[in-house]
Amino acid sequence: MASEPAGPTTRVTALGVVVALLFAILVGRLWQLQVVQGEHYLAESEENRLRDLRLPAPRGTLYDRKGRPLVTSRAAFTVSILPNEIRSAERVLPRLAAILQLPEGEIRDRIARARSRPFEPVRLRRDVSKAIVAMVEENRLDLPGVIIEVEPVRHYLYGSLAAHALGYLGEINPAELASTAWTDYRMGDLVGKGGVERVYDRVLRGYEGRQRVEVDARGRLLRVLGREPARAGRSIVLTIDLDIQRAAEAALGTRTGAVVVLDPRNGEILALASHPAYDPNAFAAGISARRWARLSGDRTLPLLNRAAEGAYEPGSVFKIVTAAAALTRGTATRATRIHCPGVFRLGGWIFHDLRAHGTVDFVTGVAQSCNVFFWTLGYRTGGEAMSQMAHALGLGERTGVDLPSESPGLIPSAAWKQRTLGEPWYPGDNINMAIGQGWVNTTPLQIARMAAAVGNGGTLVRPHLVREIIDPETRQSERVRVAPLGSIHMGAEALATLRDGLEAVVLRGTGRRVALPGLAIAGKTGSAENPRGKPHAWFTAYAPAEAPRVALAVLVEHGWRGSVAAGPIAKAILATAFGIATEPQTQGAAP
Amino acid sequence: MRGILRDLDGVLLATTVALIVIGLVVLASATASLGGPAQYLRTRLVHLGVAAVAMLAILAVDYRRWAGGRMLYLANLALLGLVLMVGVTRLGATRWIPLGPFGGFQPSELAKIALILTLARHLADRPPPASVPAFMPYLAHAGVPVLLIVAQPDLGTAMVVGAILLGMLFVAGARLGAMASLGGLALMGMPFLWSVLHDYQRRRLLVFLDPGVDPLGAGYALAQAKIAVGSGQLWGKGLFAGTQNLLRFIPEQHTDFIFTVIGEELGFVGAVLVLALFLIWIWRALRISAAASDRLGRLIAGGVAAMVVFHVFVSVGMTIGLMPITGIPLPFLSYGGSSLLAMSVATGLLLNVGMRRRRRKILFEEQWSDGQRDHRQRRTV
Repeated sequence: MASEPAGPTTRVTALGVVVALLFAILVGRLWQLQVVQGEHYLAESEENRLRDLRLPAPRGTLYDRKGRPLVTSRAAFTVSILPNEIRSAERVLPRLAAILQLPEGEIRDRIARARSRPFEPVRLRRDVSKAIVAMVEENRLDLPGVIIEVEPVRHYLYGSLAAHALGYLGEINPAELASTAWTDYRMGDLVGKGGVERVYDRVLRGYEGRQRVEVDARGRLLRVLGREPARAGRSIVLTIDLDIQRAAEAALGTRTGAVVVLDPRNGEILALASHPAYDPNAFAAGISARRWARLSGDRTLPLLNRAAEGAYEPGSVFKIVTAAAALTRGTATRATRIHCPGVFRLGGWIFHDLRAHGTVDFVTGVAQSCNVFFWTLGYRTGGEAMSQMAHALGLGERTGVDLPSESPGLIPSAAWKQRTLGEPWYPGDNINMAIGQGWVNTTPLQIARMAAAVGNGGTLVRPHLVREIIDPETRQSERVRVAPLGSIHMGAEALATLRDGLEAVVLRGTGRRVALPGLAIAGKTGSAENPRGKPHAWFTAYAPAEAPRVALAVLVEHGWRGSVAAGPIAKAILATAFGIATEPQTQGAAP
Repeated sequence: MRGILRDLDGVLLATTVALIVIGLVVLASATASLGGPAQYLRTRLVHLGVAAVAMLAILAVDYRRWAGGRMLYLANLALLGLVLMVGVTRLGATRWIPLGPFGGFQPSELAKIALILTLARHLADRPPPASVPAFMPYLAHAGVPVLLIVAQPDLGTAMVVGAILLGMLFVAGARLGAMASLGGLALMGMPFLWSVLHDYQRRRLLVFLDPGVDPLGAGYALAQAKIAVGSGQLWGKGLFAGTQNLLRFIPEQHTDFIFTVIGEELGFVGAVLVLALFLIWIWRALRISAAASDRLGRLIAGGVAAMVVFHVFVSVGMTIGLMPITGIPLPFLSYGGSSLLAMSVATGLLLNVGMRRRRRKILFEEQWSDGQRDHRQRRTV
């Protein structure tokens, strides 16, 4: 015993002290976890076991004005992932990427973006094929955290038909999420990105339901604890007439341009076409980055709604403004007669007309679209009066149509020119403006509304696309009435003179090709010179001339002559709208 | 015989029984989601029967007659070698020797006990090591079985052996300066150790240092364990009411992670109660060590104490983020026959040493100083 160093029990006692210390550490840590932070961990354990599943709300259907469905929703499979249940990202994600045919980086990005909500499924790919669903199911054990949800996918029955009016869907982007206009939207939501889909997104989307369930660690559903059913979005009856829309697109064909057809009595848009277009179905399930890059980078701008977002030199269709301004100001009357030698002199400048029209009266001047006649009117009336009348007819400002990103166009004035170019308004500017050149820019929608205003007796309507909103639960429909914006304030005689002139355009003037048997059409052609190429071809019209039910504008980019390129399109549309059979050689007969 | 029964440590025995009973209750809850506890409890009771017999056998014969012979050491190596050859691989580790209807046997559990015994004998007969070179025979002694255990791989058990070695050297009276030097050498060996670790082992260590490294992979078990224990709060969610347990958010919740069930369902109060029972158990082990009649007994009891301390600290510590995730069982509580058998043998050893503490003079004379190793000649009355 004596040889034991330091006493046999000292070391054992020392060991006892170490043990006591270690246990004190354990107890201290347990106190910290269970008592100090206990509530936090309790909340986390609740989050673990409870899962709020989303019950998607069916998006409202879009119908044409006669109740024919244009856009519906169909059930489709979405592959999603629960980020907190991926056990081994290195193994699961490459496998999943291969099955879904998605880059692995994109999957990681999506998961990373949803980091703040680790208990909610992150959609990876919508509308997957049955083969992919089968592959995911077969590899279920190797793909922990991967789930398949059934979600509605938007279906555009006629493909690209009326694409710019209907719009398309896309996942809400971070900028939208950050803005106050989209506060109750969440990441991954599909929202309208264009057209009616965007403007009426809140009407169409409904309310996502929730189902609170208890799940085990593998995400298997054990019990349903609560349920808040989804509420379907409301359906919309559009003002679009499927027949007229089809006729418009068929008549426009492959030419770049736009068509707007309105009901001049109330501003309902019967057809709105813009070409080239896109197929909104391509976006319905989330468009791939490559496809998006191709569409948005396309130099023909298929995503641009030329009818409302495209501003073009109006050319001779602007002569309606010049005529209206002159008649209102009294610088011309029905009896005004002007000699057209084929040229117009202003100071040292000489403006050349296409030909010498001889002596023309007011109606003939309009019918023949005689430039010298309108130069004279413009010179006499002045830029300010034309500018005022243009605004009265709804040019140079947004029409208020229920479409996003509408262009206001541009109506120049002396103040505008001084402000923008730093130059005064010259008399020559009156001459240019009189025939819709210079800086004048208008959208086809504005021109159609102008025609409607002249045709309906002076009421400036507000063009719109929605006629009725139907609640899917009550089946009650609510008629949408859009009040006109105002009146153009033209005297009855002045208006009558202008209308006679426009009627003469089709009866015996530049728009003769448009004439249809049994229908009085009033219209105006236009060929707008522009710095980018051949003149734009315009035709605007309303019919029947005495009490119009249809007003329209046709634009063909670089179509050269309005009467040749745009007129026949208008004719085909009117033929369809009024049920008039046309000769077979006419382009774009009604389907 | 009555004489030695008087010195049977009743507190140790009672503590052991208490831990085992708590273990049965917690096991029932931990296996409720694994197809019902009936089958597990039945197996556990069979294991308990075997363990009780083993404990009685161990304490029946004076440890000085049989503890820690060369044969035991070789048999231990043979078993550890056998497992590498015929062992069953589960979860990437070859730890089990299949035993037909009895399931499997895990030699590394008993290897710890065998090592305590042989090491105690080795140390008892020699002067306390006083320099780093003097440690070498003991390092070699423990090193061979450790290598076999690491090869399975079973890093946790290898670390337990390290703790046992350390504890026994300390109790044996090794010079503290020399032990510190040894520790320094061990630290220098760390980079090498790192290089031989498996990927999953490295990840566990990294996750321990920063749980955010891989929250979806290796950090999962740690995060879920902490949620389970923490959510138990002061009084626990109640037996059979722990959602982390019942919904199987914890991997291995009935074996290595059994403490999460205690923490979640019995709360801070239950967890501290269990820790208190362990503390009493270890206190009794140290008391037996201090009172032992000879170095052999003192070292055996000290080794057992070191082993249990390490097991408890790591097994509990890993569920609360104090220790890296290591698959080692919580004594008496984790489901597993080999571990229970090892612990009952350990308890038997303690009782054996404790019972015979007054027989020292008559039975035995320690003469390690001249290096004599012929106890057998001097045994008995």
